[in-house]
Amino acid sequence: MRRLLAVGGLTLAFVLGTWVGWWMVPVIALLWSLLPPVRPAVLATALTAAAAWALWLGYDLVAGGGGLGRLSGRLAGIMHLSSPLLILVTLLFPALLAGCAASIGGGFASALSTRRGADSQ
Amino acid sequence: MRSTLRLFLPAVVLGALLVLGARGVGVVPPLGPFLNPGTGVWSLARSAELPRSREARIPGLQAPVRVVYDDRGVPHIFAENEEDGWRAQGYVVARDRLFQLEIQTRAASGTLSELVGARAREADLAARRRGFRWVAERNFGSLDSNSLGFRAARAYAEGVNAWIDNLGAAELPLEYRLLRARPARWQPINTFYLFLQMSYTLAWSESTLENLEVRSLVGQAAADALFPVNSPIQEPIQPNGQSSPRYDLQRIPPPGAPDTLALIAAREGRIIDSALAIRSGDAVGSNNWVVGPRRTATGAPILAGDPHLELSLPSIWYELHLQVRGGPEVAGVTFAGSPGVIIGFNRDVAWSFTNTGADVRDHYREKVDDPARPTKYEVDGAWRPLELREEAILDPSGHVIAVDTLRLTHRGPMMLVQGQWLSIRWTFWDAKSAGAEFLRLDRAGSVTEWLDGWKDFVAPAQNGVVADRVGHIAIRSTGRFPLRPGDGRGDEIRDGSTAASDWTGFLPLERYPTSVNPDQGFLVSANQQPLDPRANAAYLGADWPSPWRAMRINQLLRGDSALTADAMRGFQTDSRSARAEAFVPFLIGATRASSDPDAYRAAGLLSQWDLRYTRESQGAGLFERVMREVYRLVWDELVPPGSSPRPDSSSTPVAVPEDAILFELLNDSTNAWWDNRKTEPIEQRDAILAEAMRVGYRAMIREWGPPSEDWRWDHVHHANLWHLLRIPALSDLDLPVQGGPSTVSPSPGSGTHGPSWRMVAELGDTVRVSGVYPGGQSGNPASSRYDDRIRKWQEGSLDSILFPTRPEDIPAARTRSILLLNPGNR
Repeated sequence: MRRLLAVGGLTLAFVLGTWVGWWMVPVIALLWSLLPPVRPAVLATALTAAAAWALWLGYDLVAGGGGLGRLSGRLAGIMHLSSPLLILVTLLFPALLAGCAASIGGGFASALSTRRGADSQ
Repeated sequence: MRSTLRLFLPAVVLGALLVLGARGVGVVPPLGPFLNPGTGVWSLARSAELPRSREARIPGLQAPVRVVYDDRGVPHIFAENEEDGWRAQGYVVARDRLFQLEIQTRAASGTLSELVGARAREADLAARRRGFRWVAERNFGSLDSNSLGFRAARAYAEGVNAWIDNLGAAELPLEYRLLRARPARWQPINTFYLFLQMSYTLAWSESTLENLEVRSLVGQAAADALFPVNSPIQEPIQPNGQSSPRYDLQRIPPPGAPDTLALIAAREGRIIDSALAIRSGDAVGSNNWVVGPRRTATGAPILAGDPHLELSLPSIWYELHLQVRGGPEVAGVTFAGSPGVIIGFNRDVAWSFTNTGADVRDHYREKVDDPARPTKYEVDGAWRPLELREEAILDPSGHVIAVDTLRLTHRGPMMLVQGQWLSIRWTFWDAKSAGAEFLRLDRAGSVTEWLDGWKDFVAPAQNGVVADRVGHIAIRSTGRFPLRPGDGRGDEIRDGSTAASDWTGFLPLERYPTSVNPDQGFLVSANQQPLDPRANAAYLGADWPSPWRAMRINQLLRGDSALTADAMRGFQTDSRSARAEAFVPFLIGATRASSDPDAYRAAGLLSQWDLRYTRESQGAGLFERVMREVYRLVWDELVPPGSSPRPDSSSTPVAVPEDAILFELLNDSTNAWWDNRKTEPIEQRDAILAEAMRVGYRAMIREWGPPSEDWRWDHVHHANLWHLLRIPALSDLDLPVQGGPSTVSPSPGSGTHGPSWRMVAELGDTVRVSGVYPGGQSGNPASSRYDDRIRKWQEGSLDSILFPTRPEDIPAARTRSILLLNPGNR
């Protein structure tokens, strides 16, 4: 339950952070990975970031009344990609940002706790 | 060590992603802000459709304005006063077409580089050399702030800027995101730039250059016959009392000796042409016609108009209805950036325009004090100071990337061409109104008021056709037509060292080509020569397109004395070609004596063709291919020496005479022009036509296989609607259409030009109007209104246009969205 809440909280943070700016995604992932005690795995963080952007796209889909489909077709043409691939790139981008940031944050957190443990011994 | 390595890889990937996200790479925009679904490109989907209702504020607005969008995305603006109406217009146009507004005017003002970077440097320099910025600042700057044109432009700008100042993250147009730019605030002078750009686009008459180039190859007598001042087929705009076209066919003199003086002048001209990018394409044209009450089924006048311009996405036109209490009640189409309606109707009057194509631009060879850095030029033995203007081209960050000095004589901008200084006089230098004439037309209550409303219009000269509810109809070619010394013609480079070369004035209004309520009961213009030279020899120009469209429209109107609006709509997409009617019998006849089986088969196919460019027609494509061969074989003398013809077709002639001239030749079967100079025997007409049939037929087989469905017109020819930035993914290309070169609904060449708006108005007790343009109201590619009208346009069907007097008159089922605009603080 706690884990689920944590994932929900992280998703919400990504959703709101995205409104501020795309760069909030790695910032949130980094901060979250440093926060004990519920520290999601790197993969979970990455997937949560992708899910947050997917929620935004879902909102665009509903609010746009078919506009997203038309837009993805045109944009995919500009970028010489297929529409599904463009959507995939859109979701992969925050996932990689968040995953890398979480990995770095997690590494720091582990290093920090290892050092603390060593110091306490 | 291991943990350090474990951190290293994600750090590198994250670093790369941050760079890619923040800065982009090459043409890839910064992926972060671009892909961000909250505020990036995907958010455009949220602003694609109009919300059910919305409120906004416009600083300067004097009273609330209600805007009701109907189910076609057309805003109906209900305003308490005229200026509020223009403010609201600026707002709604910016809402739908913000990027178009900016890029169109930047092209004219020579500031494209500030938006798109150094790649537009040459285009900007060319615009500055044309004197666009100079004339805009001079003429618009001298406008009285209380004048109609200035007030409209200022109010419109307030509306545009109200939209820009409150632009939401999801509303920034896609193009700005791709260019990594933000919209610039709109200036009232931009409206002037818009008309300048349109005037330039429509100033196609370059008979000066064509005549010189042809003269340099085949001598003056032949050149004058190939590019005559008067069309050999007379079906003029101002009716000449005849019930059919008149053929003034002359014998064309054989190719003569090259004229070396003309060759030098032609070289100068060609350099001017390329330096100023003067030639705007030969596919611009238009139709309009009006039928008086005596010849319609309902007894109400009916007017039809379809301007043929470059087809683009978004369209050049924006449709709207402006309903002002105690002021204009007008609907129709306008340009993004122009207050009011350009082509449309009000409660009493409907109107449309075609381009006159008059000769309104001359070149002068100037004598200067210092050829390297002139500061003075000589006129009648006295030195006059040149006006010097420094023109700086800036990039998006404001850095100067080019500087040029514009030198001006009293005639206009001067430029160095092969060591000689040439200046340019153009009627547009005198234009000051920023489109105020169109605002007067919006208010006209009768044909007389309408004609009076634009009597001072300067450029580009237009053939305006009008009808009112009382039953009057009229047409007038309006614009300044220069009067020149000597023979009055403008097709030479003049001596600038004498004031005697200057224009002596302008044709008085009473001599403009005009007709009001003619006996024939209808009026037609399709860019043909406005005046029959036998009735009125005034020189207006010499670059008249062959009158095939005019002939066909006249034929259709003469053939029916109980015309209906439905019939008019049908005429607008009529696919029968008067040009094919003229040429096909000769092509078929020529093969009778030919023993070549391919020429014979081609004749068989053409004889089965109904001379219509329908989508399924298999004869149309063959005919066009054969005509290309006819041009190649007949106009070979116009290919400059030293050009090496491509094996399949031809090198390019310096100029191709109009098909009406070729028709003249058809009736002179032994004329020396028929001979192909590359072959030994001396050919006559039928040998050349049969050869064209043979080669054209084989070319079709090579390209499309044996005669089959693959030869269908909609297979071999398409219309192409390019996006303003020429991005294929944002364009609608390869659209099958009915109509070809010279049909009433033309689709020539590469299919990039054609009917940009079709309108039919019946002026009975109430005004009933229908219309369509290729494209859609919105410039947002995510919107269903981006290209929703294209299919109807392809099919030739028109939408009924709502013209309510009150907001509540719009049926709820047809109401898409309501926008309430309130006064805001400046």
